[in-house]
Amino acid sequence: MIIENAMIVSNAEIANGIWRMTLLAQEASSRYKGPGQFINILSDDGWEHPVRRPMSIANVDGKHINIIYKIIGNVTKQLSQKAPGDSLNILGPLGNIFTEWKTKRAVLVGGGVGLAPILNLYESCPDSTLIIGARTADEHFMDHEPGKNIYLTTDNGSLGITGNVLTVLENLDFNDQIIIYACGPEPMLKAIQHFAAENSIKAQLSVESYMGCGLGLCQGCVIEKQNEQMKKHSYHEKYSLVCMDGPVYWSNEVCFG
Amino acid sequence: MRFALADLSIQIGHIQFNNPVFVASGTFGYGTENKELVDVSKLGAIVTKSITLNPREGNPPPRLVETPSGMINSIGLANIGVEKYISDMLPVYEGIGTPIIMNIAGSSMDEYISVLEKIESVSSAIVGYEINISCPNVKEGGMQFGVDCSMTESLTSALRKRTEKLLIMKLSPNVTDISSIAVSAENGGADAVSAINTVVGMSIDHKTAKSNIYTTFGGLSGPAIKPIGLACVHKVFHSVTIPVIGIGGIVNSGDVVEYILAGAKAVQVGTANFRDPGICVKILNDLDLYINEHNVTLNNLIGSVKQYD
Repeated sequence: MIIENAMIVSNAEIANGIWRMTLLAQEASSRYKGPGQFINILSDDGWEHPVRRPMSIANVDGKHINIIYKIIGNVTKQLSQKAPGDSLNILGPLGNIFTEWKTKRAVLVGGGVGLAPILNLYESCPDSTLIIGARTADEHFMDHEPGKNIYLTTDNGSLGITGNVLTVLENLDFNDQIIIYACGPEPMLKAIQHFAAENSIKAQLSVESYMGCGLGLCQGCVIEKQNEQMKKHSYHEKYSLVCMDGPVYWSNEVCFG
Repeated sequence: MRFALADLSIQIGHIQFNNPVFVASGTFGYGTENKELVDVSKLGAIVTKSITLNPREGNPPPRLVETPSGMINSIGLANIGVEKYISDMLPVYEGIGTPIIMNIAGSSMDEYISVLEKIESVSSAIVGYEINISCPNVKEGGMQFGVDCSMTESLTSALRKRTEKLLIMKLSPNVTDISSIAVSAENGGADAVSAINTVVGMSIDHKTAKSNIYTTFGGLSGPAIKPIGLACVHKVFHSVTIPVIGIGGIVNSGDVVEYILAGAKAVQVGTANFRDPGICVKILNDLDLYINEHNVTLNNLIGSVKQYD
Protein backbone atom coordinates (compact mmCIF):
# COMPACT_ATOMS: atom_id res chain seq x y z
CA MET A 1 0.00 0.00 0.00
CA ILE A 2 0.98 3.61 -0.37
CA ILE A 3 -0.08 7.10 0.73
CA GLU A 4 -0.77 9.24 -2.31
CA ASN A 5 -2.33 12.59 -3.18
CA ALA A 6 -4.82 11.49 -5.80
CA MET A 7 -6.54 13.96 -8.13
CA ILE A 8 -10.31 14.07 -8.30
CA VAL A 9 -11.43 13.59 -11.89
CA SER A 10 -15.17 13.59 -11.27
CA ASN A 11 -17.53 13.67 -8.31
CA ALA A 12 -21.28 13.42 -8.88
CA GLU A 13 -24.47 12.39 -7.11
CA ILE A 14 -25.84 9.25 -8.79
CA ALA A 15 -28.84 8.69 -6.52
CA ASN A 16 -30.31 10.44 -3.50
CA GLY A 17 -27.38 10.93 -1.14
CA ILE A 18 -25.19 8.46 -3.04
CA TRP A 19 -22.14 9.76 -4.88
CA ARG A 20 -19.53 8.39 -7.24
CA MET A 21 -16.01 9.80 -7.28
CA THR A 22 -13.27 9.05 -9.80
CA LEU A 23 -9.70 9.56 -8.68
CA LEU A 24 -6.52 9.63 -10.71
CA ALA A 25 -4.25 7.60 -8.46
CA GLN A 26 -1.18 6.42 -10.32
CA GLU A 27 0.51 4.62 -7.46
CA ALA A 28 -2.44 3.14 -5.60
CA SER A 29 -4.08 1.88 -8.81
CA SER A 30 -0.91 0.04 -9.80
CA ARG A 31 -0.97 -1.88 -6.52
CA TYR A 32 -4.62 -2.92 -6.74
CA LYS A 33 -5.26 -6.66 -6.33
CA GLY A 34 -9.00 -7.00 -7.06
CA PRO A 35 -12.62 -6.54 -5.95
CA GLY A 36 -12.96 -6.35 -2.17
CA GLN A 37 -10.05 -3.98 -1.55
CA PHE A 38 -10.54 -0.50 -0.17
CA ILE A 39 -8.77 2.83 0.21
CA ASN A 40 -8.61 4.94 3.35
CA ILE A 41 -9.30 8.58 2.57
CA LEU A 42 -8.59 11.89 4.27
CA SER A 43 -11.20 14.51 3.52
CA ASP A 44 -9.03 17.50 4.48
CA ASP A 45 -5.76 18.55 6.11
CA GLY A 46 -7.40 19.75 9.31
CA TRP A 47 -7.63 17.73 12.49
CA GLU A 48 -11.29 18.16 13.35
CA HIS A 49 -11.70 14.66 11.91
CA PRO A 50 -8.40 12.94 12.68
CA VAL A 51 -9.35 9.48 11.42
CA ARG A 52 -9.32 8.40 7.78
CA ARG A 53 -12.50 6.92 6.30
CA PRO A 54 -12.36 3.52 4.62
CA MET A 55 -14.08 3.42 1.21
CA SER A 56 -14.49 0.29 -0.88
CA ILE A 57 -13.14 0.44 -4.38
CA ALA A 58 -15.98 0.35 -6.92
CA ASN A 59 -13.75 0.01 -9.94
CA VAL A 60 -10.17 0.41 -11.12
CA ASP A 61 -9.73 1.45 -14.71
CA GLY A 62 -6.10 1.99 -15.66
CA LYS A 63 -4.82 4.69 -13.32
CA HIS A 64 -8.30 5.62 -12.14
CA ILE A 65 -9.96 4.44 -8.94
CA ASN A 66 -13.72 4.83 -8.47
CA ILE A 67 -15.46 4.94 -5.13
CA ILE A 68 -19.17 5.11 -4.33
CA TYR A 69 -20.10 6.74 -1.04
CA LYS A 70 -23.19 7.69 0.83
CA ILE A 71 -23.45 10.97 2.73
CA ILE A 72 -23.72 10.04 6.38
CA GLY A 73 -21.82 12.74 8.25
CA ASN A 74 -19.53 15.74 7.98
CA VAL A 75 -16.69 13.91 6.29
CA THR A 76 -18.78 12.43 3.49
CA LYS A 77 -20.50 15.81 3.10
CA GLN A 78 -17.08 17.47 2.71
CA LEU A 79 -16.18 14.80 0.19
CA SER A 80 -19.28 15.60 -1.88
CA GLN A 81 -18.27 19.27 -2.01
CA LYS A 82 -14.95 18.53 -3.67
CA ALA A 83 -14.52 19.44 -7.31
CA PRO A 84 -12.62 17.92 -10.23
CA GLY A 85 -8.99 19.01 -9.97
CA ASP A 86 -8.99 18.95 -6.15
CA SER A 87 -6.63 16.51 -4.54
CA LEU A 88 -7.56 13.81 -2.07
CA ASN A 89 -5.07 12.06 0.17
CA ILE A 90 -5.57 8.31 0.03
CA LEU A 91 -3.95 5.31 1.69
CA GLY A 92 -4.26 2.03 -0.09
CA PRO A 93 -5.17 -0.23 -1.61
CA LEU A 94 -5.86 -2.13 1.58
CA GLY A 95 -7.49 -5.40 2.56
CA ASN A 96 -8.13 -8.77 0.97
CA ILE A 97 -10.27 -9.70 -2.04
CA PHE A 98 -13.30 -11.83 -2.93
CA THR A 99 -12.22 -15.30 -4.08
CA GLU A 100 -13.50 -18.29 -6.07
CA TRP A 101 -15.78 -16.18 -8.26
CA LYS A 102 -13.90 -17.23 -11.38
CA THR A 103 -14.87 -20.86 -10.98
CA LYS A 104 -18.27 -20.61 -9.28
CA ARG A 105 -21.54 -18.95 -10.14
CA ALA A 106 -21.99 -15.76 -8.17
CA VAL A 107 -25.03 -14.22 -6.57
CA LEU A 108 -24.03 -10.67 -5.69
CA VAL A 109 -25.88 -8.79 -2.98
CA GLY A 110 -25.36 -5.11 -2.15
CA GLY A 111 -27.23 -2.82 0.17
CA GLY A 112 -26.90 0.78 1.29
CA VAL A 113 -23.31 1.87 1.45
CA GLY A 114 -22.14 -1.62 0.57
CA LEU A 115 -22.67 -1.27 -3.13
CA ALA A 116 -19.17 -0.43 -4.24
CA PRO A 117 -17.35 -3.76 -3.88
CA ILE A 118 -20.37 -5.65 -5.20
CA LEU A 119 -20.56 -3.55 -8.36
CA ASN A 120 -16.81 -3.97 -8.69
CA LEU A 121 -17.17 -7.74 -8.59
CA TYR A 122 -20.17 -7.59 -10.95
CA GLU A 123 -17.93 -6.07 -13.62
CA SER A 124 -15.69 -9.10 -13.36
CA CYS A 125 -18.54 -11.61 -13.50
CA PRO A 126 -21.35 -10.03 -15.54
CA ASP A 127 -23.20 -13.35 -15.89
CA SER A 128 -23.95 -13.41 -12.19
CA THR A 129 -27.19 -12.52 -10.43
CA LEU A 130 -27.16 -9.03 -8.92
CA ILE A 131 -29.45 -8.00 -6.06
CA ILE A 132 -29.38 -4.43 -4.79
CA GLY A 133 -31.41 -3.31 -1.81
CA ALA A 134 -32.42 0.19 -0.78
CA ARG A 135 -35.11 1.81 1.32
CA THR A 136 -36.72 3.79 -1.50
CA ALA A 137 -36.54 4.20 -5.29
CA ASP A 138 -34.54 7.43 -5.13
CA GLU A 139 -31.60 5.60 -3.52
CA HIS A 140 -31.26 3.37 -6.60
CA PHE A 141 -29.29 4.33 -9.68
CA MET A 142 -29.63 1.10 -11.69
CA ASP A 143 -32.61 -0.41 -13.51
CA HIS A 144 -34.63 -3.32 -12.21
CA GLU A 145 -34.12 -5.92 -14.97
CA PRO A 146 -35.14 -9.43 -13.85
CA GLY A 147 -34.57 -10.63 -17.44
CA LYS A 148 -30.90 -9.82 -17.00
CA ASN A 149 -30.85 -11.20 -13.45
CA ILE A 150 -30.66 -7.71 -11.95
CA TYR A 151 -33.09 -7.37 -9.06
CA LEU A 152 -33.65 -4.13 -7.17
CA THR A 153 -35.62 -4.07 -3.94
CA THR A 154 -37.20 -1.26 -1.95
CA ASP A 155 -38.73 -1.37 1.52
CA ASN A 156 -41.84 0.44 0.30
CA GLY A 157 -42.16 -1.10 -3.15
CA SER A 158 -41.47 2.20 -4.93
CA LEU A 159 -39.11 0.34 -7.29
CA GLY A 160 -38.50 -3.31 -8.12
CA ILE A 161 -39.40 -5.95 -5.59
CA THR A 162 -41.10 -4.94 -2.34
CA GLY A 163 -39.03 -6.13 0.59
CA ASN A 164 -35.31 -6.53 0.98
CA VAL A 165 -32.51 -8.54 -0.55
CA LEU A 166 -33.58 -11.61 1.45
CA THR A 167 -36.93 -11.55 -0.33
CA VAL A 168 -35.07 -12.19 -3.58
CA LEU A 169 -32.55 -14.66 -2.15
CA GLU A 170 -35.34 -16.81 -0.72
CA ASN A 171 -36.82 -17.20 -4.19
CA LEU A 172 -33.65 -18.16 -6.03
CA ASP A 173 -32.60 -21.72 -6.81
CA PHE A 174 -29.28 -22.51 -5.23
CA ASN A 175 -26.88 -25.39 -5.75
CA ASP A 176 -23.42 -26.13 -4.45
CA GLN A 177 -21.80 -24.34 -7.39
CA ILE A 178 -23.18 -21.00 -6.26
CA ILE A 179 -21.54 -18.57 -3.85
CA ILE A 180 -23.20 -15.48 -2.39
CA TYR A 181 -21.02 -12.37 -2.25
CA ALA A 182 -22.47 -9.62 -0.09
CA CYS A 183 -21.68 -6.20 1.27
CA GLY A 184 -23.98 -3.88 3.16
CA PRO A 185 -25.25 -2.86 6.57
CA GLU A 186 -24.63 -5.29 9.40
CA PRO A 187 -28.29 -6.37 9.80
CA MET A 188 -28.29 -7.36 6.11
CA LEU A 189 -25.04 -9.31 6.43
CA LYS A 190 -26.34 -10.98 9.56
CA ALA A 191 -29.49 -12.06 7.71
CA ILE A 192 -27.44 -13.39 4.78
CA GLN A 193 -25.13 -15.22 7.18
CA HIS A 194 -28.19 -16.89 8.72
CA PHE A 195 -29.70 -17.65 5.30
CA ALA A 196 -26.44 -19.18 4.06
CA ALA A 197 -26.08 -21.36 7.15
CA GLU A 198 -29.71 -22.54 7.05
CA ASN A 199 -29.47 -23.48 3.38
CA SER A 200 -25.88 -24.76 3.38
CA ILE A 201 -24.80 -22.14 0.87
CA LYS A 202 -21.31 -20.68 0.80
CA ALA A 203 -21.14 -16.92 1.22
CA GLN A 204 -18.41 -14.30 1.37
CA LEU A 205 -19.24 -11.13 3.28
CA SER A 206 -17.40 -7.83 3.05
CA VAL A 207 -17.82 -6.35 6.51
CA GLU A 208 -17.71 -2.76 7.69
CA SER A 209 -15.75 -1.59 10.67
CA TYR A 210 -14.67 1.62 12.30
CA MET A 211 -10.96 1.94 11.53
CA GLY A 212 -8.31 4.05 13.20
CA CYS A 213 -5.58 3.44 10.65
CA GLY A 214 -6.11 0.60 8.15
CA LEU A 215 -2.61 -0.67 8.82
CA GLY A 216 -3.01 -3.00 11.79
CA LEU A 217 -1.49 -0.44 14.14
CA CYS A 218 -4.44 0.68 16.21
CA GLN A 219 -6.12 -2.74 16.60
CA GLY A 220 -9.44 -0.90 16.64
CA CYS A 221 -11.32 -2.53 13.76
CA VAL A 222 -11.61 -6.09 15.04
CA ILE A 223 -14.47 -8.50 14.37
CA GLU A 224 -15.08 -11.57 16.49
CA LYS A 225 -14.19 -14.86 14.84
CA GLN A 226 -16.37 -17.96 14.90
CA ASN A 227 -14.09 -20.62 16.18
CA GLU A 228 -15.43 -23.37 18.37
CA GLN A 229 -11.96 -24.76 18.83
CA MET A 230 -10.73 -21.38 19.95
CA LYS A 231 -7.70 -21.55 22.16
CA LYS A 232 -8.14 -19.54 25.28
CA HIS A 233 -5.89 -16.49 25.55
CA SER A 234 -4.22 -17.11 22.25
CA TYR A 235 -3.50 -13.80 20.57
CA HIS A 236 -5.65 -13.11 17.52
CA GLU A 237 -7.53 -16.35 17.92
CA LYS A 238 -10.63 -14.58 19.12
CA TYR A 239 -10.59 -11.42 17.00
CA SER A 240 -9.60 -10.67 13.45
CA LEU A 241 -8.33 -7.31 12.19
CA VAL A 242 -10.78 -6.22 9.47
CA CYS A 243 -8.15 -3.94 7.89
CA MET A 244 -5.51 -6.63 7.47
CA ASP A 245 -7.34 -9.99 7.47
CA GLY A 246 -10.59 -8.63 5.95
CA PRO A 247 -12.75 -6.96 4.93
CA VAL A 248 -13.89 -10.13 3.11
CA TYR A 249 -14.69 -13.19 5.24
CA TRP A 250 -16.50 -16.47 4.68
CA SER A 251 -19.87 -16.13 6.41
CA ASN A 252 -19.02 -18.92 8.84
CA GLU A 253 -15.79 -17.25 9.93
CA VAL A 254 -17.17 -14.23 11.78
CA CYS A 255 -19.71 -13.29 14.44
CA PHE A 256 -21.72 -10.10 14.34
CA GLY A 257 -22.40 -8.26 17.58
CA MET B 1 23.79 9.48 12.65
CA ARG B 2 21.94 12.75 12.34
CA PHE B 3 19.82 13.41 9.32
CA ALA B 4 19.22 17.08 9.91
CA LEU B 5 21.42 20.15 10.05
CA ALA B 6 20.36 21.33 13.49
CA ASP B 7 21.48 19.41 16.55
CA LEU B 8 18.30 17.69 17.62
CA SER B 9 20.02 15.13 19.81
CA ILE B 10 18.97 14.77 23.42
CA GLN B 11 19.99 12.66 26.36
CA ILE B 12 17.63 10.90 28.76
CA GLY B 13 19.28 8.90 31.52
CA HIS B 14 22.43 7.51 29.93
CA ILE B 15 20.90 7.17 26.47
CA GLN B 16 21.61 9.60 23.67
CA PHE B 17 18.78 9.92 21.14
CA ASN B 18 19.33 11.42 17.68
CA ASN B 19 16.21 13.53 18.06
CA PRO B 20 13.38 14.12 20.54
CA VAL B 21 10.48 12.82 18.43
CA PHE B 22 9.39 9.32 19.46
CA VAL B 23 6.34 7.31 18.43
CA ALA B 24 3.95 6.61 21.29
CA SER B 25 3.01 3.22 22.64
CA GLY B 26 0.07 1.55 20.93
CA THR B 27 0.32 3.66 17.78
CA PHE B 28 3.21 1.99 16.00
CA GLY B 29 2.66 -1.70 16.73
CA TYR B 30 5.76 -3.61 17.78
CA GLY B 31 7.83 -1.18 15.74
CA THR B 32 8.46 -2.73 12.37
CA GLU B 33 4.98 -3.01 10.81
CA ASN B 34 5.43 0.33 9.03
CA LYS B 35 8.68 -0.35 7.21
CA GLU B 36 6.89 -0.15 3.86
CA LEU B 37 5.69 3.42 4.54
CA VAL B 38 8.30 4.96 6.84
CA ASP B 39 12.05 5.13 7.25
CA VAL B 40 11.91 4.15 10.92
CA SER B 41 15.62 4.81 11.36
CA LYS B 42 14.81 8.53 11.36
CA LEU B 43 12.62 8.31 14.47
CA GLY B 44 14.08 9.41 17.79
CA ALA B 45 12.80 6.18 19.31
CA ILE B 46 10.02 3.67 18.95
CA VAL B 47 7.94 2.94 22.01
CA THR B 48 6.28 -0.43 21.48
CA LYS B 49 2.72 -1.31 22.29
CA SER B 50 2.21 -2.56 25.84
CA ILE B 51 3.52 -6.06 26.45
CA THR B 52 2.02 -8.15 29.23
CA LEU B 53 3.10 -11.43 30.81
CA ASN B 54 0.43 -13.47 29.00
CA PRO B 55 -1.02 -12.84 25.53
CA ARG B 56 -4.16 -10.71 25.53
CA GLU B 57 -6.94 -10.78 22.95
CA GLY B 58 -8.12 -7.30 23.86
CA ASN B 59 -11.61 -5.94 24.41
CA PRO B 60 -14.69 -6.84 22.32
CA PRO B 61 -15.60 -4.41 19.52
CA PRO B 62 -16.47 -1.63 19.05
CA ARG B 63 -13.10 -0.51 20.29
CA LEU B 64 -12.68 2.83 18.61
CA VAL B 65 -14.65 5.92 17.64
CA GLU B 66 -13.76 9.33 16.30
CA THR B 67 -14.70 12.32 18.47
CA PRO B 68 -14.24 16.04 17.77
CA SER B 69 -10.51 16.51 17.00
CA GLY B 70 -9.76 13.20 18.62
CA MET B 71 -10.68 9.59 19.06
CA ILE B 72 -11.62 7.28 21.88
CA ASN B 73 -10.13 3.81 22.00
CA SER B 74 -10.56 0.84 24.23
CA ILE B 75 -8.30 -1.79 22.71
CA GLY B 76 -7.63 -3.56 25.97
CA LEU B 77 -3.87 -4.11 25.63
CA ALA B 78 -4.14 -6.72 22.86
CA ASN B 79 -0.63 -8.15 22.54
CA ILE B 80 1.30 -11.35 21.93
CA GLY B 81 2.66 -11.71 25.47
CA VAL B 82 6.28 -11.49 26.57
CA GLU B 83 7.41 -15.00 25.54
CA LYS B 84 6.33 -14.58 21.93
CA TYR B 85 7.62 -11.02 22.01
CA ILE B 86 11.06 -12.33 22.94
CA SER B 87 11.07 -15.05 20.29
CA ASP B 88 9.44 -13.13 17.44
CA MET B 89 10.20 -9.44 17.94
CA LEU B 90 13.58 -9.12 19.64
CA PRO B 91 15.47 -10.62 16.68
CA VAL B 92 13.74 -8.15 14.36
CA TYR B 93 15.08 -5.22 16.38
CA GLU B 94 18.70 -6.12 15.64
CA GLY B 95 19.96 -3.66 13.08
CA ILE B 96 16.76 -1.62 13.00
CA GLY B 97 18.79 1.54 13.62
CA THR B 98 16.26 3.06 16.01
CA PRO B 99 16.31 2.90 19.80
CA ILE B 100 13.49 0.63 20.99
CA ILE B 101 11.72 1.41 24.24
CA MET B 102 9.56 -1.49 25.34
CA ASN B 103 6.28 -0.58 27.03
CA ILE B 104 5.23 -2.94 29.81
CA ALA B 105 1.78 -3.25 31.38
CA GLY B 106 0.73 -5.43 34.27
CA SER B 107 -1.90 -6.06 36.87
CA SER B 108 0.40 -6.71 39.80
CA MET B 109 3.87 -5.87 40.97
CA ASP B 110 4.88 -9.45 40.19
CA GLU B 111 3.66 -9.22 36.62
CA TYR B 112 5.62 -6.06 35.83
CA ILE B 113 8.70 -7.54 37.47
CA SER B 114 8.41 -10.83 35.68
CA VAL B 115 8.04 -9.25 32.23
CA LEU B 116 11.02 -7.00 32.87
CA GLU B 117 13.14 -9.84 34.24
CA LYS B 118 12.40 -12.01 31.21
CA ILE B 119 13.68 -9.27 28.93
CA GLU B 120 16.68 -8.59 31.18
CA SER B 121 17.63 -12.27 31.01
CA VAL B 122 18.17 -12.17 27.25
CA SER B 123 20.31 -9.91 25.14
CA SER B 124 18.35 -7.41 23.08
CA ALA B 125 18.50 -4.06 21.33
CA ILE B 126 15.95 -2.63 23.75
CA VAL B 127 17.37 0.54 25.33
CA GLY B 128 14.74 1.01 27.97
CA TYR B 129 11.31 0.43 29.39
CA GLU B 130 8.27 2.63 29.57
CA ILE B 131 6.03 1.37 32.35
CA ASN B 132 2.32 1.73 31.67
CA ILE B 133 0.71 2.55 34.99
CA SER B 134 -2.05 4.46 33.32
CA CYS B 135 -4.13 2.36 30.90
CA PRO B 136 -7.74 3.39 31.48
CA ASN B 137 -9.26 0.51 29.50
CA VAL B 138 -8.61 -2.69 31.37
CA LYS B 139 -8.97 -3.51 35.03
CA GLU B 140 -5.55 -5.08 34.92
CA GLY B 141 -3.93 -2.15 33.10
CA GLY B 142 -1.87 -0.84 35.94
CA MET B 143 -4.11 2.11 36.67
CA GLN B 144 -4.23 1.14 40.34
CA PHE B 145 -0.50 1.95 40.40
CA GLY B 146 -0.80 5.14 38.42
CA VAL B 147 -3.30 6.77 40.76
CA ASP B 148 -1.42 5.97 43.96
CA CYS B 149 1.82 7.61 45.03
CA SER B 150 3.16 4.87 47.28
CA MET B 151 2.37 2.11 44.76
CA THR B 152 4.03 4.15 42.00
CA GLU B 153 7.13 4.56 44.11
CA SER B 154 7.38 0.94 45.18
CA LEU B 155 6.81 -0.36 41.63
CA THR B 156 9.39 2.06 40.23
CA SER B 157 11.91 1.12 42.83
CA ALA B 158 11.31 -2.63 42.38
CA LEU B 159 11.93 -2.29 38.65
CA ARG B 160 14.89 0.05 39.17
CA LYS B 161 16.64 -2.62 41.23
CA ARG B 162 16.33 -5.05 38.33
CA THR B 163 17.51 -3.01 35.38
CA GLU B 164 20.14 -0.54 34.38
CA LYS B 165 18.27 0.21 31.20
CA LEU B 166 16.31 3.44 30.82
CA LEU B 167 13.24 3.40 33.08
CA ILE B 168 10.35 5.68 32.18
CA MET B 169 7.07 5.77 34.09
CA LYS B 170 4.05 6.71 31.95
CA LEU B 171 1.64 8.90 33.88
CA SER B 172 -2.12 9.21 33.72
CA PRO B 173 -3.94 12.53 33.52
CA ASN B 174 -6.89 10.87 35.27
CA VAL B 175 -5.60 11.74 38.74
CA THR B 176 -6.12 14.54 41.22
CA ASP B 177 -2.49 15.61 41.27
CA ILE B 178 -0.18 14.34 38.52
CA SER B 179 2.82 16.10 40.08
CA SER B 180 2.74 13.97 43.22
CA ILE B 181 2.72 10.78 41.13
CA ALA B 182 5.66 12.12 39.11
CA VAL B 183 7.56 12.85 42.32
CA SER B 184 6.92 9.28 43.48
CA ALA B 185 8.31 7.94 40.20
CA GLU B 186 11.40 10.10 40.63
CA ASN B 187 11.83 8.96 44.25
CA GLY B 188 11.56 5.36 43.09
CA GLY B 189 14.48 5.89 40.74
CA ALA B 190 12.87 6.50 37.34
CA ASP B 191 15.09 8.07 34.68
CA ALA B 192 12.15 9.98 33.22
CA VAL B 193 8.37 10.26 33.21
CA SER B 194 6.16 10.41 30.16
CA ALA B 195 2.85 12.25 30.21
CA ILE B 196 0.10 11.88 29.36
CA ASN B 197 -1.66 8.60 28.69
CA THR B 198 -5.20 8.93 27.31
CA VAL B 199 -7.93 10.86 29.09
CA VAL B 200 -10.97 8.86 30.20
CA GLY B 201 -13.79 9.63 27.80
CA MET B 202 -17.15 8.45 26.59
CA SER B 203 -19.03 8.66 23.30
CA ILE B 204 -22.76 8.10 22.86
CA ASP B 205 -24.82 7.73 19.68
CA HIS B 206 -27.94 9.80 20.32
CA LYS B 207 -29.76 8.05 17.46
CA THR B 208 -29.44 4.59 18.98
CA ALA B 209 -28.98 5.73 22.61
CA LYS B 210 -26.02 3.35 22.80
CA SER B 211 -22.44 3.81 23.89
CA ASN B 212 -20.09 3.84 20.89
CA ILE B 213 -17.51 1.81 22.79
CA TYR B 214 -18.10 -1.71 24.11
CA THR B 215 -16.47 -0.99 27.45
CA THR B 216 -18.50 2.26 27.82
CA PHE B 217 -15.43 4.27 28.77
CA GLY B 218 -12.32 4.58 26.66
CA GLY B 219 -9.20 6.67 26.32
CA LEU B 220 -9.44 10.00 24.50
CA SER B 221 -6.45 10.97 22.39
CA GLY B 222 -5.58 13.31 19.54
CA PRO B 223 -5.46 17.11 19.26
CA ALA B 224 -8.47 17.35 21.60
CA ILE B 225 -6.23 16.51 24.57
CA LYS B 226 -3.22 18.69 23.71
CA PRO B 227 -4.14 21.43 26.23
CA ILE B 228 -4.45 18.80 28.97
CA GLY B 229 -1.11 17.28 28.00
CA LEU B 230 0.63 20.67 27.98
CA ALA B 231 -0.75 21.53 31.42
CA CYS B 232 0.30 18.16 32.87
CA VAL B 233 3.79 18.41 31.38
CA HIS B 234 4.22 21.92 32.74
CA LYS B 235 3.09 20.90 36.24
CA VAL B 236 5.34 17.84 36.26
CA PHE B 237 8.29 19.83 34.89
CA HIS B 238 8.14 22.08 37.92
CA SER B 239 7.85 19.14 40.34
CA VAL B 240 10.68 16.82 39.32
CA THR B 241 14.29 17.07 38.18
CA ILE B 242 14.19 14.07 35.80
CA PRO B 243 13.26 14.64 32.14
CA VAL B 244 9.61 14.77 31.09
CA ILE B 245 8.51 13.22 27.81
CA GLY B 246 5.46 15.06 26.50
CA ILE B 247 2.54 13.21 24.89
CA GLY B 248 -0.92 14.24 23.80
CA GLY B 249 -2.28 15.48 20.49
CA ILE B 250 0.98 16.29 18.72
CA VAL B 251 0.45 16.56 14.96
CA ASN B 252 3.12 19.06 13.82
CA SER B 253 6.43 20.68 14.74
CA GLY B 254 4.66 23.62 16.38
CA ASP B 255 3.05 21.21 18.82
CA VAL B 256 6.48 19.72 19.58
CA VAL B 257 7.91 23.16 20.31
CA GLU B 258 4.94 23.96 22.57
CA TYR B 259 5.52 20.76 24.57
CA ILE B 260 9.22 21.58 24.89
CA LEU B 261 8.38 25.12 26.04
CA ALA B 262 6.06 23.57 28.62
CA GLY B 263 8.91 21.47 29.94
CA ALA B 264 9.29 18.35 27.82
CA LYS B 265 12.75 17.14 26.82
CA ALA B 266 11.33 14.76 24.27
CA VAL B 267 7.87 14.03 22.89
CA GLN B 268 5.85 11.12 21.63
CA VAL B 269 3.51 11.31 18.66
CA GLY B 270 0.52 9.00 18.98
CA THR B 271 -2.84 9.25 17.25
CA ALA B 272 -1.37 11.17 14.30
CA ASN B 273 0.54 8.02 13.27
CA PHE B 274 -2.77 6.32 12.52
CA ARG B 275 -3.52 8.90 9.86
CA ASP B 276 0.02 9.07 8.50
CA PRO B 277 2.66 6.68 9.82
CA GLY B 278 5.29 8.94 8.21
CA ILE B 279 4.18 12.04 10.07
CA CYS B 280 7.10 12.00 12.54
CA VAL B 281 9.60 12.29 9.71
CA LYS B 282 7.73 15.36 8.41
CA ILE B 283 7.56 16.80 11.94
CA LEU B 284 11.33 16.32 12.30
CA ASN B 285 12.08 18.12 9.06
CA ASP B 286 9.96 21.06 10.20
CA LEU B 287 11.47 21.01 13.69
CA ASP B 288 14.90 21.20 12.12
CA LEU B 289 13.80 24.31 10.20
CA TYR B 290 12.38 25.86 13.37
CA ILE B 291 15.59 25.33 15.36
CA ASN B 292 17.67 26.80 12.55
CA GLU B 293 15.39 29.75 11.87
CA HIS B 294 15.03 30.71 15.52
CA ASN B 295 18.69 30.07 16.28
CA VAL B 296 17.84 28.22 19.50
CA THR B 297 18.87 24.93 21.01
CA LEU B 298 16.46 22.30 22.24
CA ASN B 299 17.97 22.33 25.72
CA ASN B 300 17.49 26.08 26.08
CA LEU B 301 13.87 25.82 25.01
CA ILE B 302 12.88 23.25 27.63
CA GLY B 303 10.40 24.77 30.06
CA SER B 304 11.11 28.28 28.83
CA VAL B 305 7.50 29.28 28.24
CA LYS B 306 6.99 32.93 29.14
CA GLN B 307 4.24 34.06 31.45
CA TYR B 308 1.56 36.15 29.80
CA ASP B 309 1.91 39.77 30.81
